[in-house]
Amino acid sequence: MIEDLRKELSIFPNGEKSEKIYLYLGHRSHYKERPILAKAYGTANLFRQPRAHIYENDLIAGSVRGLFSSEFDERIRQKAESDFSSYGENTFFTNSDHFAPNYRVFLKDGVPGTKEKIEDSMKKHNGEKERRFLLAVKITFDGFIDMIKAYSLAAEEKAEKTENEKNKKNLRLISEDLKFLIDNPPKTFRQALQLMFMTHTAFSYEGKSAMAFGRIDQYLYSYFKKDVESGILTEQETAELLTSVFLKIYENRYFGFDDTVNICIGGITPEGEDGTNALSYIVLKAVKNANIPGPNLSARIHSKTSDRFLDECLKVIATGLGYPALMNDEVNIPALLRHGYEKTDVNDYCFVGCIENFIAGKQPPWSDGRFNVPLYLEPIFFNGKTLINPEYIGIDTGELDGLKTMNDFLEAYHKQLEYAMSVYFAYFNNANDRYNPENYSQPFLSIFCEDCIGRAKDIRDGGSKYPSVHAPACMGIATVADSLAAIDKLVYTDKKYSLSQIAEAIKANFQGYEKMRKELLAAPKYGNDDDFVDRYAVWYVEEMERLVSPYKTRDGGPLYVGIASNVQNIPAGEEIAATPDGRKAKEPISDAASPMHGMDKEGATAVINSVSKPDYTLAACGTVLNQKFSPQMLNNEENRNKVKDLIKVYFKKKGQEIQINSVSRDILKDAMVHPEKYQNLVVRVSGFSAYYVNLDKSVQLDILKRTEHNGSDGV
Amino acid sequence: MEKEIKRNCKKIQSEKAGKTQTETKLSDKIKPESVTDTLNTSKKKTTTKTKISISKIQRFSTADGPGIRTTVFFQGCNLRCKWCHNPETQSTKSTFLTFCDERKEISGKAMSVKEIFSIIKKDVDFYEISEGGVTLSGGEPLLQADAAKKLLSLCKQENISTIVDTAGAVPFENFLKVLPVTDLFYFDIKASDSKKYLSFTGGDFSLIRENLIRLTKTGARVEVCVPLILGVNTDASSRNKIANLLKTAGINDIILLPYHKYGISKYKALGRNYEFERKKLTPSSVIEKTKEFYRQKGFTLKTRK
Repeated sequence: MIEDLRKELSIFPNGEKSEKIYLYLGHRSHYKERPILAKAYGTANLFRQPRAHIYENDLIAGSVRGLFSSEFDERIRQKAESDFSSYGENTFFTNSDHFAPNYRVFLKDGVPGTKEKIEDSMKKHNGEKERRFLLAVKITFDGFIDMIKAYSLAAEEKAEKTENEKNKKNLRLISEDLKFLIDNPPKTFRQALQLMFMTHTAFSYEGKSAMAFGRIDQYLYSYFKKDVESGILTEQETAELLTSVFLKIYENRYFGFDDTVNICIGGITPEGEDGTNALSYIVLKAVKNANIPGPNLSARIHSKTSDRFLDECLKVIATGLGYPALMNDEVNIPALLRHGYEKTDVNDYCFVGCIENFIAGKQPPWSDGRFNVPLYLEPIFFNGKTLINPEYIGIDTGELDGLKTMNDFLEAYHKQLEYAMSVYFAYFNNANDRYNPENYSQPFLSIFCEDCIGRAKDIRDGGSKYPSVHAPACMGIATVADSLAAIDKLVYTDKKYSLSQIAEAIKANFQGYEKMRKELLAAPKYGNDDDFVDRYAVWYVEEMERLVSPYKTRDGGPLYVGIASNVQNIPAGEEIAATPDGRKAKEPISDAASPMHGMDKEGATAVINSVSKPDYTLAACGTVLNQKFSPQMLNNEENRNKVKDLIKVYFKKKGQEIQINSVSRDILKDAMVHPEKYQNLVVRVSGFSAYYVNLDKSVQLDILKRTEHNGSDGV
Repeated sequence: MEKEIKRNCKKIQSEKAGKTQTETKLSDKIKPESVTDTLNTSKKKTTTKTKISISKIQRFSTADGPGIRTTVFFQGCNLRCKWCHNPETQSTKSTFLTFCDERKEISGKAMSVKEIFSIIKKDVDFYEISEGGVTLSGGEPLLQADAAKKLLSLCKQENISTIVDTAGAVPFENFLKVLPVTDLFYFDIKASDSKKYLSFTGGDFSLIRENLIRLTKTGARVEVCVPLILGVNTDASSRNKIANLLKTAGINDIILLPYHKYGISKYKALGRNYEFERKKLTPSSVIEKTKEFYRQKGFTLKTRK
């Protein structure tokens, strides 16, 4: 059945993606209203009008296929496009998606409970603005209810038409469950999962990406337990239902890219106990069975996590999919607590997008940007100028002769970074001001965030329990640490070269300075458990915290440090001249929190020792440590135990995150030459997995170059 | 700012000190007089300034014994096994390797026992959790038995488990030197008779045989490693002879290592000819048959993982 559904999903829809037209049609019929209301009608129409698509092999309804239509002409399409621009830009800076809804509360309330909450709040609030917001909420929620009805009807019709008895039965069940959900909160696991996924589908209609499922093994557990105990559900059926939902994430490909839907399992409960349960294992299995990149599984590991759970995680990683990413509660929880959240909320944290720590349904959507830290070495050398990046103008930190000690040099770098962060922040503020929450409100999303309805305030306008956060993803920790160590070694310790000579070499991209480059490359490198260089990584993380801590977001929320780079380390490198670590101009900088590719030569334990030296409780956003193990390391039980022990030590030493690729180098190489043979090869890229053959060649090479640990050298 | 950096450095140092609080005490402990030279085989004073010629140190080594280990590959071997997969470790002198991608490596450099131990110590947390430790391999570690003993003694003082991987073609007194500080010996038996030993390895089988028997008599824990190589030791007669030797020596644990050709690139990098280039890999049927044979004979088959 799952395989039949997979086949159905693999056929791309006909027609053109028309969600903006549905929005426009709803919007234009209410142009006379205030923007928040007119747009709410747009959203409601978007939920209501498209065809509710049911797959023959559906177990849980919800599909974006109905957004594709051939019935609209080019004229209306263009009009819709321009109308849509008034909705505000979907950017990371303006809190629009990358959000984990509060499914725990929503499933408990169900549709009727939510309606009641909206009505109750309407009675309590008399302010014009508040009432208008609540009305907008109600308009969108009514649209959503109609969407549920439409799917219920469509499932019934499909059941009539199908001849396969088993499918007929499933489709009828879907139809009945949806009908039930209109007037009742979910009672069964199937209904709870259905309501959750119908909500997720509504977000997909809205074009929101990276909408996380959050702690699915926690908020669905009571339904699961009850159904299994009463005998109406088996573990096998649960796995199938979940797989069918995870498979749907594939639909995002119709839009041209894979979505990154974060799903969190394991970890501690709000009360601090081990939350790993039978459902955690089933989710793990279901994600494995789905075998597609979209479900971005994250496993929270803590001191009470069982060996069995970690082992099962590693077995899934061994398939090559690259997930789950393993997250350390013992670092993430203290990191979040630093920002003043309540302990029970922090214990219940999950992730959005790649690895971003998130308190589900209690804060506005995620926001981050990229901060290219190694770039700001250049203005030290060239009186405030950068060599390749045409836009950036730094500050002049004086003549190089004036930097007599390594601390002078660091002082100059600090000044450059401090200025660069102010530039970054000015840009961030501009983007935020351009889309003020009143005109660019999100009434539907607000339903899923505590306590927007109760406060009668938009999710971006003070409705959420906690304010918005923003995280500059600070890139290139290894490139910076290696560069600082090389300067320390060759300029200040061995006194072999002056800073001016280094500047000349950077300018020449090492042409004519081959000998110097060799020595720079031979200086200590991050990832080899060498304190001479590792101390600069420690400094880096503390420095990033120093840089962001003076700032606040629009609504007074904190700035988080992120030590992650996605795949941006490649474009980031393209705008940087040669660096003192010996890296040539335009080459990629180091990836996320990982050592520079090929520079970690002392094996996995040395990497772990190095990478766990910085204090990552200062990085509340999260970090990404990409590691590659040869498949034989993970497929053999004895070896897998060693990898498990390695991870345990890493987490004991307060490492924050680790994610593992285990596709062999030979396969990766072959896949570059014969992509047709590897259409389904999923690999870990950075904070997410993807189809390898669809990645840009530069990214493919970047993954290929990661140091592979195999535990022996053919010895 | 300056303070910050100093603080950071201090933080690392104090962390380091925290992990290995014994750093200063340790150097006291290993003062010459405090080391009990149990067997009186070494008259030299024990200091950690002693150097060992090593090929390389491999951390996170997973194929040289239980758990996560650090393997110290000694430079220099007195055998010349035709299938050797670490040919760069054979010469006692430094050897240069130039790989086809122009990568260059040097095998063979003198490192003090203290230096080596400081690297070993970095991974104690990993040994502890995985029940791993240190393996001395090579090359032939027992050609530098005095130095090996000093290194192993330091390990034992820190409760790090120790394995010595040897081909056994050394004077027996070299075994006695490391015996008190070695938890397990991996002892290679590569062939079943003197003639084959001589022609395939250049080794003296009677010495090796004698050493194996004497070693087990001391009560040492020994596991025998047999590389399975067609035409050398996989035929019925060879297997029987090896089994008999092991019985005589009172050895119960055997590790069968299928022959592989991972060393080929190293021969090329050394500019040397690999005589076994065309040698067939041992078919899995033969491996299975051999395993079954030893199992039938009552041996316990072990792995080095």
